[in-house]
Amino acid sequence: MLRRFDVHRVTSIAEAVDARQRFGEDAAIYAGGTELLLAMKMGVARWPHLIDVKAIPALGRITATNDALRIGATATHWDIERNALVGGALPALARLEANVANVRVRAAGTLAGNLAFGEPHADPPSMLIALGARVVLEGKSGTRSVAVHEFITGMYQTALAGDEIIVAIDIPLPAKDVRVAYVKFQILERPSVGVAALGTVRDGRFVGAPTVVVGAVDEVARAVPTAQFAGADARDARTLDAIAEAARAAVEPTADLAGSVEFKRHLVGVFTQRVCATLAAQAS
Amino acid sequence: MKQAHRVVGTPARRADGVAKVTGAARYAVDLSVPGMAYAAVVRSTRAHAKITGIDRTAAAASPGVIRVLIGDDLLAAGLTPYYGHVVLDHPVLAIERVRFHGEPVAVVVAETKREAAEAAELVDVSYEDLPAVIDADEALKPDAPVLHERRGERVGDEGMDEGEKGLVGNVCAIARVGWGNIDEALARAHLVVEGEYRYPMLYGYAMEPYNALAFFDQGDLVVFSTAQHVYMVRRDLARMFHLPLARVRVSAPYVGGGYGTKSYTKVEGMTAAAAFFTGRAVKLDLSVEEAMLTTRSASAHIRARSAFTKDGMLLARDFQIVMNNGAYTDNTPLVNSKTANRCFGPYRIPALRVIARSVFTNTVPSSSLRGFGAPQGNIAGELQMDEAAAKLGLDPVELRLRNLVGPGEEFMPGKRPLDADLKDDLRCLASALEWPGTRIGRSIGLGVSASDAGAYPTSTAAVRIHSDTSVTLFTGSTELGQGSRTVLAQIVAEELGVPLESVGVVNGDTGVVTYERTTGASRTTTITGRAVQEACRDARRRVRELAVQAFDLPTSEIEDTAGGIRARGRGFSYGEVIEKWFGAGGEVLGHGAVRRAEGFAKMPPFYEIGCTGLELSVDRETGQVHVTKLTTVGDVGFAINPALVHGQDAGAAMMGLGAALHEELIYEGGQLVNPNVVDYRVPRFSDIPDEMVHLLAERLDGSGPFGAKGAGEGAGNTVGSATASAIGRLLGIFPRELPATPERVWRLIREAERVRTRKTE
Repeated sequence: MLRRFDVHRVTSIAEAVDARQRFGEDAAIYAGGTELLLAMKMGVARWPHLIDVKAIPALGRITATNDALRIGATATHWDIERNALVGGALPALARLEANVANVRVRAAGTLAGNLAFGEPHADPPSMLIALGARVVLEGKSGTRSVAVHEFITGMYQTALAGDEIIVAIDIPLPAKDVRVAYVKFQILERPSVGVAALGTVRDGRFVGAPTVVVGAVDEVARAVPTAQFAGADARDARTLDAIAEAARAAVEPTADLAGSVEFKRHLVGVFTQRVCATLAAQAS
Repeated sequence: MKQAHRVVGTPARRADGVAKVTGAARYAVDLSVPGMAYAAVVRSTRAHAKITGIDRTAAAASPGVIRVLIGDDLLAAGLTPYYGHVVLDHPVLAIERVRFHGEPVAVVVAETKREAAEAAELVDVSYEDLPAVIDADEALKPDAPVLHERRGERVGDEGMDEGEKGLVGNVCAIARVGWGNIDEALARAHLVVEGEYRYPMLYGYAMEPYNALAFFDQGDLVVFSTAQHVYMVRRDLARMFHLPLARVRVSAPYVGGGYGTKSYTKVEGMTAAAAFFTGRAVKLDLSVEEAMLTTRSASAHIRARSAFTKDGMLLARDFQIVMNNGAYTDNTPLVNSKTANRCFGPYRIPALRVIARSVFTNTVPSSSLRGFGAPQGNIAGELQMDEAAAKLGLDPVELRLRNLVGPGEEFMPGKRPLDADLKDDLRCLASALEWPGTRIGRSIGLGVSASDAGAYPTSTAAVRIHSDTSVTLFTGSTELGQGSRTVLAQIVAEELGVPLESVGVVNGDTGVVTYERTTGASRTTTITGRAVQEACRDARRRVRELAVQAFDLPTSEIEDTAGGIRARGRGFSYGEVIEKWFGAGGEVLGHGAVRRAEGFAKMPPFYEIGCTGLELSVDRETGQVHVTKLTTVGDVGFAINPALVHGQDAGAAMMGLGAALHEELIYEGGQLVNPNVVDYRVPRFSDIPDEMVHLLAERLDGSGPFGAKGAGEGAGNTVGSATASAIGRLLGIFPRELPATPERVWRLIREAERVRTRKTE
């Protein structure tokens, strides 16, 4: 069962940063709690203090400019999947969010919390990395922004400094003719393999190289080297086979209850093909 | 032909439906008493070890702590520190030694639940590791570490297995079934199908984890618990505290899911001991994670051979079964013998040899779980029918029809003849599934089973008819969600001719209700139902006796009517007779008992039929199975409440599907690696097949009331083998190990490709 802890409800970013500094390693940031409280209930994490950031009004907002979405740190998966701005500008992200875990997790869990936990078996990181999203952090020395692939540094490890909190996630919107897709394979509570891709397909060919990022299978999400596929025939099975081969080579899967290294590497190939086929199909 | 009935045979609304859906229904976990203390369990961190010391100092000094209790305290107080309804080998708290990771070593009692949990972490147990054995086949080897050098006292009274003969090393139970000359039959067979099959170790996930509330009231022990068999728990507790049965009261209010996992004593002993040593009312409620360290079902490794003529007639079947039953005996002798009885199927088999052995290992103790050996046995028995059909070029339905026994035919010598028409059931199932199936990429699998169900048929019931003609039923059978309160009330309403709404049910409290041996083996409708019927008939007899005296009527002129009697052209309600006889107030009490006699003289009391099939597709790239349709045939003799039968069939089939596709407790290095329901994958709503069809077969051929017989487990018994069969028919290679996880299926697909490549080369 949960052990005793103190909850500190902060109402501004400055207060949150202060609390981070005051409690140091004795405190965790608490927003959705879907990962944090589960870990605390199981006794794998113990925090004497939780800094509850849910009541900071600025953090709940989802806003859009012409070329970017800004998702506040306390926006839940449920908020994002149903948000009209997200649905209009980046429907693939809305779909991804609508399929995270289950409705109870989505109703409480936040996108920022998902990134902050650094859980390797997660849906959002691969797509956010593919889109070039950045995590906006605020700490004692001010604000900085870190690319998602640099923010998540390892299994359950991030670049978040001891005095910082996540303020928002900035997601650049792809150009009009760029397609975004995400497919995953999932048996347990979390995805076993998730592959995000974006690219432009014109007249059946990739315009430039597609971006492919494989998540959930490795310690961190991995971008697949795809430069060689610039201009390749997106409808040719050989192209998809070759991208799948590149994806399989790019990952070092972790064996767990969802499968062996060999099976997961195989799945990476299958879902890379599927996601790239989706790009081509969407374009036609 | 069905007789005309008023109340039975109708889908009457569940008596407890609204209370459960709105959260008003009270379960044991909801109960509290003033001044109650809380217990927390300290569990072994070793798979197998000697306990070299337990330092309680820090825990005892922790805030709110009342007492820290260990096994030695029970010994010192002269209590019986072991429980077990067959073998007295399960320590309430570990004594000298731990035999599995997670075994209770100490109990901390404190003023609050959190204080108890916090102090539990301060109990310092020192261990000296012993070699551990996790795998059952390993545990059978001569050099394997032995868990029980000295066996516990045998206290069981059912004698289902061979008793203590041959129980050497780690063998916990042996069962043998057989007849005919196996070797001779194998030698002259046209085809012998041979293989090794594996059925997983499962956790029977119930929404309400194990919990109990215990206190002593003027020397009487009172325990509220989420128990299925309150009378079995009463016996264990009476033995533990040297109390007469009459001074132990065990009460189970609504039970939040049982499935067999709450049969027999679980946490009641620990909780009662905590109450005994503290003089307080003590509550212990486990988390799901702790419940997973309390009871599981036995896995099975089966080596099987089936011999056929070229026309597909069975000549012989040979099964060698090894089951992993964990650290203690619990219900193993019964599960083991049921697996032996249920593996070969309701077929005409000229020669049979089954040897089932259950083996102690350093794992969570196993006990009953829905199906009780039948799903384990069927993965070999039924799947070999399909494998044989494929090899003989015969239709698997036809192959089964050729071998199935008919109604009234004996298939186990000396046992009850089959009380079902399985051939007709199978034809119904095949037709509903559109067998053999023509849709590309889809495949159908199906199977049949007949389980010797009902357990030992001892049951009693009482009805009180009140002065307003309403009725209270007293039954020792517990409401596990299966709907027994509703079904038994329907039987009362039918027998006594009163409205269903005027029947109240009091159940599951040994201090109040009449004796019931168990609530398991799908027995309640059949066996308790018969006791209820007898109680109603006894009450009617008494009403007639009262009428003779009260109205000075000759016995011969009294006829029974709905809700009363009729004599000399006049009707009298029960209430009128009662009030007239007493003068003011009063009631009539009827008692009913059934035993192993008359309709239940021959064991088993009835066969529970399994007749389920499904259609599925396989993603050939990922190995993921998708079930498009699942069909059950509920051969229940007579459905007293058809809606509840459908509910039971759907539930049993879905649990079967969990084991077929996903569920498996996995051990690595002496510890469970998935001891929580995040990593242990139970079925979800998204796993429900696209289409589910539940048929009923009502031939009034059951030994229960109105021709009914039990349901609730059968529909799941063949789901595992049917799933394997459907996958096998699709891929050309049959999976012989469940669950058929995506990776396992993907490996089969690759193997099938290799076989095809070899053939074309």
